[in-house]
Amino acid sequence: MNQNPGSGTGGSGRLSQIVSYVLIFLMMTCFAMTVGNLIQNNLPEWHSEIVVGVTLFIVIDRLYTYQRFKSLTPLTPEWGITFGSQWFVITVFVKVLLSYANGSDSFVADLARYSRGDLEGLINPEFGVTMLLAIISWYLTGEFLRLLDETGLDQIIAIRESATPVKSGVTSHQRLANLMVGLGIALVILTALARIDFRSLFLNAAGISNTNPNQFSGGEVGTLLYFLFGLALLSQSRLMSLQVRWDQQRVPVSSNNLAGRWSTYSLVFIVLLMIVIGLLPAGDSLGFFSLLGTFLGFLFNILFFIGQLFLNLVYLLFSLPFLLLGKAPPTQIIITPTPTPTPEPATDIAAQATYNPIWALLKSIVLWGALATIITFAVVQFVRQHGGLVETFRKLPFTNWIIRAWQSLRGNLTRTTAAISRAMADGWENIRSRLEGNRILPRLNLLRLRSLDPRRQVYFFYLAMVRRSGEQGLDRKPSQTPAEYANKLEKALPTVDEDVRAVTESFIKARYSRVKVESEEANIIKTTWGRIRQALQELNKPGK
Amino acid sequence: MRGSFSTLLIVLVLIAIFLRGDFALTLIYLVVGGFIAGVWWSSRALTQVQSKRQFNNHAFLGETVKINLRVQNKGWLPLLWVELRDSLPVALAGPHSFRTITNMSPRGKASFEYSVEAQKRGYYPIGPLSVSTGDILGMRETLRVENQAEHLVVYPKIIPLTSVEIPSYSPQGTLRHNLPLFEDPTRVFGKREYTSGDSLRRIDWKSSASTGRLQVRLFEPSIALETLVVLNLNTDDYYYRSRIDSMELAIVIAASVANWVVGKKQLVGMMVNGRDPLAVDGKPQSIPPRKGKLHLMRLLETLARIDAVDSSTLVPLIQQQRYQLAWGTTLIVITGKANNELLDELYQARRQGQNAVLILSGRDTADETINQRAKLFGIPIFSIATERDLKIWMMETKRV
Repeated sequence: MNQNPGSGTGGSGRLSQIVSYVLIFLMMTCFAMTVGNLIQNNLPEWHSEIVVGVTLFIVIDRLYTYQRFKSLTPLTPEWGITFGSQWFVITVFVKVLLSYANGSDSFVADLARYSRGDLEGLINPEFGVTMLLAIISWYLTGEFLRLLDETGLDQIIAIRESATPVKSGVTSHQRLANLMVGLGIALVILTALARIDFRSLFLNAAGISNTNPNQFSGGEVGTLLYFLFGLALLSQSRLMSLQVRWDQQRVPVSSNNLAGRWSTYSLVFIVLLMIVIGLLPAGDSLGFFSLLGTFLGFLFNILFFIGQLFLNLVYLLFSLPFLLLGKAPPTQIIITPTPTPTPEPATDIAAQATYNPIWALLKSIVLWGALATIITFAVVQFVRQHGGLVETFRKLPFTNWIIRAWQSLRGNLTRTTAAISRAMADGWENIRSRLEGNRILPRLNLLRLRSLDPRRQVYFFYLAMVRRSGEQGLDRKPSQTPAEYANKLEKALPTVDEDVRAVTESFIKARYSRVKVESEEANIIKTTWGRIRQALQELNKPGK
Repeated sequence: MRGSFSTLLIVLVLIAIFLRGDFALTLIYLVVGGFIAGVWWSSRALTQVQSKRQFNNHAFLGETVKINLRVQNKGWLPLLWVELRDSLPVALAGPHSFRTITNMSPRGKASFEYSVEAQKRGYYPIGPLSVSTGDILGMRETLRVENQAEHLVVYPKIIPLTSVEIPSYSPQGTLRHNLPLFEDPTRVFGKREYTSGDSLRRIDWKSSASTGRLQVRLFEPSIALETLVVLNLNTDDYYYRSRIDSMELAIVIAASVANWVVGKKQLVGMMVNGRDPLAVDGKPQSIPPRKGKLHLMRLLETLARIDAVDSSTLVPLIQQQRYQLAWGTTLIVITGKANNELLDELYQARRQGQNAVLILSGRDTADETINQRAKLFGIPIFSIATERDLKIWMMETKRV
């Protein structure tokens, strides 16, 4: 067997590494942007730009030193020295940077504290949060890199990983996706928190900041970009995992530029996705979520009512002993539902000034259409992926009852339609026969055999047989049924008794049933009638 | 992975409800759109892939068959990767099957060529071709479609026989014979002087006139050899230790004899009790005796496809077919073992004017009682243990 031995998937390894590292850096930058935005919004006195800078520095450091750390065995002295020295430098660097950012006086004061050995005074919340973020960035970057290695960035690790049974059925690519989405969820929550003005919340309970909800903040842009870069990283990881699988299974790759095309198509895919998302309406679409909010608020109120009822019952039980002892029960705590803050929908004065109802209607149609399409597609895909779901659904008694009811309704409808059409056909037949003077065939002088349909051709041959037989003295009495008359003819014409029976049966079928008479049958009856006619003619011959 | 995406969606919807911002809705579009578009792309693109296999679907033993596989993406969506896997039977390709990875641009085409060795007679499926792909983000398991398989017929081995001793009593054929009983008036080979008792119809008047003495024509005796090869592939009729080899040898003998008979421009038919994968009920149709190379190919094709069968005795089949055969037809029965029932049936055939030859294929076929009985009935028996034993029919031509 000849096969083109694979042109291999190697060669693009270095490029894959660079692309992956760049994507991780960009994702972590987005993470830093979002966190920085949250700090800036709620703690403006902190140095959010320093926090972002430190986070990015940690990410770069982690990307740079990852290969070295990978070669070290964890918890060995060498690893401890490397790890400890790195974090010592990072800690000092962060402290110095934050001190310096607070001004030269602060820096000098910190130095003085250090010289006095007042280490506790050196640690403040800003420093603690920055260090926490540094640790998180260091860990997350390492996790991304580790999972990419297992996916295929490091061929040796990837092959070793794929050779071992997959833990709980989750591949390294899936774990990477989970990490990406997990961090994304955290960013979304942080972005949402960044919208809330906590100071105002604590001071005057008016939670939502006055920022325009239809205008993206830095954190929101960061989160959106994070997901875009995340999708690109997933695409890259998918390619790497496939390449490892193909290498392992020794499947030759006949395309020379698979990785290059993959990258191009991924880029096109993401750009198109961005364009489509950009075109989809978002600003005027909050009615849908408002509806959902009302629904959830309603549910919340019901739950609250049930909870209150339960608490009142408990209170009643506790107060019974007090009443029995003649003492006043403890004060009843009446819980009143606090209305869920329903922020006012965004009002844009400029937008109101240029409000166009037709444009708004079109936007609304597009939005609802897009949502309906997405939901329908998702449902269809879900049903397709779960082949047994439809069967299970069908087996449910309620569904079964609905299906049966539908079938019964449909059957009734079909029968009614058939009955109506039959009645109409009968009526038309009656009208026609009346118009033709109660004849089942047109008048003889108007009759053209070829113009008759097969049913009427059968009538014709049967009536011809009756007429010709009558001429030969074999009259049909009015009381005789076709079958009785056939018996009489069979006795008189024993040579063609089968033919007589065939013509009669065909006539009975054509005249008294709704079975379709085929032209082939009419032709057969014509031939049969020919033989009967010959037999009738022979009756006249002398000696017969 | 889907679980984390679902969580993300729930979080986004909750944020959209409580915070009312474009941001959440845009992210919903991004996440759902990315997922749906990725899945739709791969599944849609896969439906547009068409493949065509081109190869010579008949081959003789030992031939190399080149298979050309053309794959085309009929759609406007590119395929990031496609895995093509053509399943091949072990007898043709060994443990390997054709497998490759490629990508396909919109309306793109790709062509692949591989070859298989026809090492064993048979009716082999080439394919089905499995075309697999997946989505760009790895959200979904690999999608796969299978295209229809095609079949390759590898003819059985044919050993060129030159002198098979097959008796025939059908006069006036095209084969020379040594019994004057079968003189053919169309085959004049000389003249001699008239002797008393010669038929007047034999007198050659022209030469008689020129010589002045009555001359009679001499005719060469000839026979027609109408043959029916009866091949028994009932597994019970072969010695179990060498069953497979003996059956294959029986097929080789049948193919070689049929080839020899067709080479002699005689009629040959065939009746087999095996299993034909193309027959509706699995039972192969008996092929009536005909002449010509095309007919031989038909016989060989049946022999290529045929498989052994259990519990299908040969005798009822012969009984059924015997009455449809012409007088003088020779039945060449190829089987692993002969029994009294079979000999009785062949004797009945002889009594009805047909000839019978029994060829026992494989080792351990000798049975003295059967041999003696066959001799008594006048049925020649040949024991062919290996292909080398067929040399007895490969010597220089003798008069049959």
